[in-house]
Amino acid sequence: MLKLGRSEFADTDLLVMAIVNRTRDSFYDRGATWSEERALDRVRQVVDEGADLVDIGGVKAGPGQAVAVEEEIRRTAGFVARVRAEFPDLVISVDTWRHQVAEVVCGEGADMLNDASGGHDPRLAEVAARHGAGLVCTHTNGAPPRTPPHRPSYDDVVVAAVTDTVALAERALALGVDRSSILIDPAHDFDKNTWHSLEVTRRLDEMVATGWPVLVSLSNKDFVGETLDQPLGERLVGTLAATAICAWHGARVYRAHEVAETRQTLDMVASIKGDRPPARVVRGLA
Amino acid sequence: MTTVVTCPHPPLLIRPLSGTQDVAEELRAACLAALRPVVSAGPAAVVVIGGADQPGPWDVATPVDVRRFGTTGPRTGPGLPLSLGVGRWLLDEAGWTGPTELLALSWDTSDDDLEALAARLLTHDDVAVLLMGEGSTRRGETAPGFLDEHAFPFDDVVADALDSGEGSELRTLDEALARELMVGGRAVFRLLGNMVAPTDRPADAVLDYRDDPFGVSYFVATWKL
Repeated sequence: MLKLGRSEFADTDLLVMAIVNRTRDSFYDRGATWSEERALDRVRQVVDEGADLVDIGGVKAGPGQAVAVEEEIRRTAGFVARVRAEFPDLVISVDTWRHQVAEVVCGEGADMLNDASGGHDPRLAEVAARHGAGLVCTHTNGAPPRTPPHRPSYDDVVVAAVTDTVALAERALALGVDRSSILIDPAHDFDKNTWHSLEVTRRLDEMVATGWPVLVSLSNKDFVGETLDQPLGERLVGTLAATAICAWHGARVYRAHEVAETRQTLDMVASIKGDRPPARVVRGLA
Repeated sequence: MTTVVTCPHPPLLIRPLSGTQDVAEELRAACLAALRPVVSAGPAAVVVIGGADQPGPWDVATPVDVRRFGTTGPRTGPGLPLSLGVGRWLLDEAGWTGPTELLALSWDTSDDDLEALAARLLTHDDVAVLLMGEGSTRRGETAPGFLDEHAFPFDDVVADALDSGEGSELRTLDEALARELMVGGRAVFRLLGNMVAPTDRPADAVLDYRDDPFGVSYFVATWKL
């Protein structure tokens, strides 16, 4: 059972976490939801399309313009409050690695913290524990936030991802974060080249076997682009293929730009797995 | 007085098979609306009769093998033929827990055998009968049997008979045409016709439902004899 915010999710539920960027420079949407009204419209749209969670971020994941703590709070905290007011039951995640930001957004109603830095700020988990928020524990191989990979190499990338994320999860648990609100994320492309991200996908069942619920963030990433030799804007098919494989392996949460397509992909896999009845069956049964 | 309810037997009447959406809701409601008063009248037994490849009685403990058609539920092992399985399912849904007899009828049962069976059924007027059968399967280009224009007049004859309680048209249904039109009720309709034969007084009949939402003719009828 996964407990996020006011919601509890069964072990067979596959959840879509919609990306909502309060940034001007994120790699895919390039500022499309920089204005608060646009971002709120995006939330309304993704909820309508079947998103179970939103992940609100105020800083681009990759290198770019420096964003001070105060600016990140300005971008995210008030917006979290507006989303919370309009959607009392929606699971709100905030994508941040800074405990100061986490403190404020949790106060405004955020339900979980998506720490894509792999525990760079050790106090983040303490904030999650204090507020009863969930936490995503990510594998970054120790790379500082916003650092692109440069010749990363691993004895075994999956073993590294499992070891590091489980250690972070156990630490969060020891600090008082609810066991059913901790997720682990192999972090495709984070200090990984395309070979590494493909291997993590291929062997995602090894992460699932740890027993910690797994979140994957695949959407339009470079490993999809490089694998298919497709530019940004042409990576949806590859993203959905990777989504299907991760779902088959047992990942639980899917951070995504294209919500409706991801929802359909997950529904299809859930039905193939036998966890979700098909919507409408008539052929051969009339 | 013997009450005879006629219902079709598409697997879709078994609710879980159509998935999240209930595509046969109206038909199921009509079947249950016909069965509930019969069941609540407390007959000594309900005899369920349906067409099958292998004729003969079936043990009431035989399961309804839903998994053969779909769902992710448990496998029950060999179960009732479809017509009897759907009949059993509907009776359960209607709340019937009393004695039940399950009888499979060969699709091409002889007139003599039908006459004898009809006579036997009429000897116990405290027994209710559930006949499982449907009309043509060739009522459109998306129908399971594709389109055969002969389906429409054929089904009209059956519907008129079910509505009027007249037995003669049912007794003498064109068997070869019924086979051609994939009429799943061809044996039970003839049996029903034979049940009014002794007096040839029309039954007190109500055709509760008639439609072909998927290209197969479904009828729900109640006769009191």
